[in-house]
Amino acid sequence: MKNNDNLNAALAAATCALLGSAVAAPVAAQEESSGWSFDSTLLYYGESDDRVRDISAAVAAQRDFGDERKFSATLTADTLTGASASGAIALDRPQTFTSPSGRAVYTTAAGAVPLDDTFLDTRFALNASWTQPLARLYTVSAGVGFSTEYDYTHLGANLSLARDFNKRNTTLSAGVAWSQDDVDPVGGRPIPLAQMLDVGNDSNKRNGGESKDVLDLLLGFTQVLNRTTVLRVNYSYSDSSGYLNDPYKLLSVVDPLTGDTLARVPIGQGPDGVYLFESRPDARTKQSLYAEVKHAFGTPVMHFAYRYMTDDWGIDSHTGEVRLRWPLGDGYIEPQLRYYTQSAADFYRASLVNGAALPRYASADFRLGDFDATTVGVKYGHGTTGGNEWSIRAEYYQQTGSVPQEQIIGNQARREQYPDLSAVIVQFGYRFRL
Amino acid sequence: MKKLPFCLVLLGLAGCAGVQPWERDVLARPEMSLDNAPLEAAIDDHIYFSKEASSGGRGFGGGGCGCN
Amino acid sequence: MPKPRFLLSLALACFALTAAAGDAGDPLDLAQLRGKVVLVDFWASWCEPCRHSFPWLNEMQAKYADRGLVVIGVNVDRERGDADRFLRDVPAQFRVVYDPAGTLASRYDLPGMPVSYIIGPNGDVVGRHIGFRNALRAEREAELQKLLETSR
Repeated sequence: MKNNDNLNAALAAATCALLGSAVAAPVAAQEESSGWSFDSTLLYYGESDDRVRDISAAVAAQRDFGDERKFSATLTADTLTGASASGAIALDRPQTFTSPSGRAVYTTAAGAVPLDDTFLDTRFALNASWTQPLARLYTVSAGVGFSTEYDYTHLGANLSLARDFNKRNTTLSAGVAWSQDDVDPVGGRPIPLAQMLDVGNDSNKRNGGESKDVLDLLLGFTQVLNRTTVLRVNYSYSDSSGYLNDPYKLLSVVDPLTGDTLARVPIGQGPDGVYLFESRPDARTKQSLYAEVKHAFGTPVMHFAYRYMTDDWGIDSHTGEVRLRWPLGDGYIEPQLRYYTQSAADFYRASLVNGAALPRYASADFRLGDFDATTVGVKYGHGTTGGNEWSIRAEYYQQTGSVPQEQIIGNQARREQYPDLSAVIVQFGYRFRL
Repeated sequence: MKKLPFCLVLLGLAGCAGVQPWERDVLARPEMSLDNAPLEAAIDDHIYFSKEASSGGRGFGGGGCGCN
Repeated sequence: MPKPRFLLSLALACFALTAAAGDAGDPLDLAQLRGKVVLVDFWASWCEPCRHSFPWLNEMQAKYADRGLVVIGVNVDRERGDADRFLRDVPAQFRVVYDPAGTLASRYDLPGMPVSYIIGPNGDVVGRHIGFRNALRAEREAELQKLLETSR
């Protein structure tokens, strides 16, 4: 669940094949090649404070059957360890929680932001797609995707069509993607807003899995502006329904004056505070508008992208990204900068106040809160004599959030209110043809 | 031709923008392709999806050498 | 019945050709080639399908040269060096003409890249193919054969 496969990532990866570059071809002479080209990558993602650490490897293979017909497949393997902030607030005393399995407890030190119980999760994902022209100016693409991790399975399919106009200066495209995900959390699904109970007591959980269906629609418009500039604008609509909760996220119930979590005495092993499992709506509609421009000024190429997203959970976000590819010796250097800001979901709550009416939906998940995030990075790529390319990329990601003033109660003001996050990303890539 | 009014709308949108088919040398460069690093884009999307509330938006199609 | 727009482009190409033929400096030298079937193919170093079209063009030129087929490749690269590099990888066994300023390309108002014009023995443009598809090779060869028959 911590590593939900992204439908849009699958859609993007699979339908990138529409351009004939699910694996972007290395710059090479088309000698007697077998038609197979590969892109491989190894990535390390590490958050500070011993939070999440992820190592992933992916290989994308593409076979060109000639006449713009292409098959591509991508295999990804991820190993995730560590933990994210669980949503409970930090206190001046240590805290004890029941682990998701319901069979053990784990503790958080005084003053520390509580994290989920440490876990090890391995995920595999496979995407495959086929692209071909339907007629001279029409291209169609269809793909399927599958991913699995210990508590989550994803199955999806996508279909898209593009049509060129205006001597291929303009392209209109439309795509649709469906997915069905099945969640089967460790220890069972918590009843929304039920209280965390002692070890061995699973009356607050339901057995069996739940599912989540997503429908994505995309309308795209690409336009060549001039000899050195191309623009793309996309509108997306996404509809999710089903089980949208994160089964491992909590909210602390706090005293209305002190703002500290209510104490609880466990019978045997169990939580020493009052914590409730989160509750989210069972439907979510998102819309986004995305625009990007690539411009070459001589050999260097600049890429700028902007995305606005809004949904019916009250979240609005803006993303701005700029990259500049600069030739350097036999290769290139590409600094990149990304800025992201989002507003909190309507039902985001830093904590729940004891005595106040319980809202229908509430979540303290930092991913639904109000925050800004910045990524700075640089990539270096180098072509080999064989026409292949290797690259290395390093990035630093920093997320800084804030809790609305009215939600900060009593002693909470003196502590870290939002579990800020920072991470280092290092990636190696190698593209080659056979 | 039923297509005609639609073409006019598009031309209106596109204005006088665009280049002749024989002038696509720069656009044909791999780094000018809008999807020249799809694996990297997919991985980035995945990382950001798991840490933020927004996702995707990129889509597909267009640009490049305009060949065939 | 061919689409009106297609006929218009052919007419334009015809005009371009007759204008070119009248030109003292016609790089294609079409006036000289009356009586032959000429295949004028516009190509560029950055055009990926051109890597596949050249072997076929070479084959056609070799096979039908003595039946009166003349293949002319018109290169539209701005930099001659780019064209030369392409020709080292993918050699042309037919005549190559250079149009770096795109004058010929504009005159023909190319609808896409690559594009081939087939010119009959009487000097008229009788066919046009936008793009290169392996699947259409047999059909295109049959078209050429038919034309070469009638040119006798």
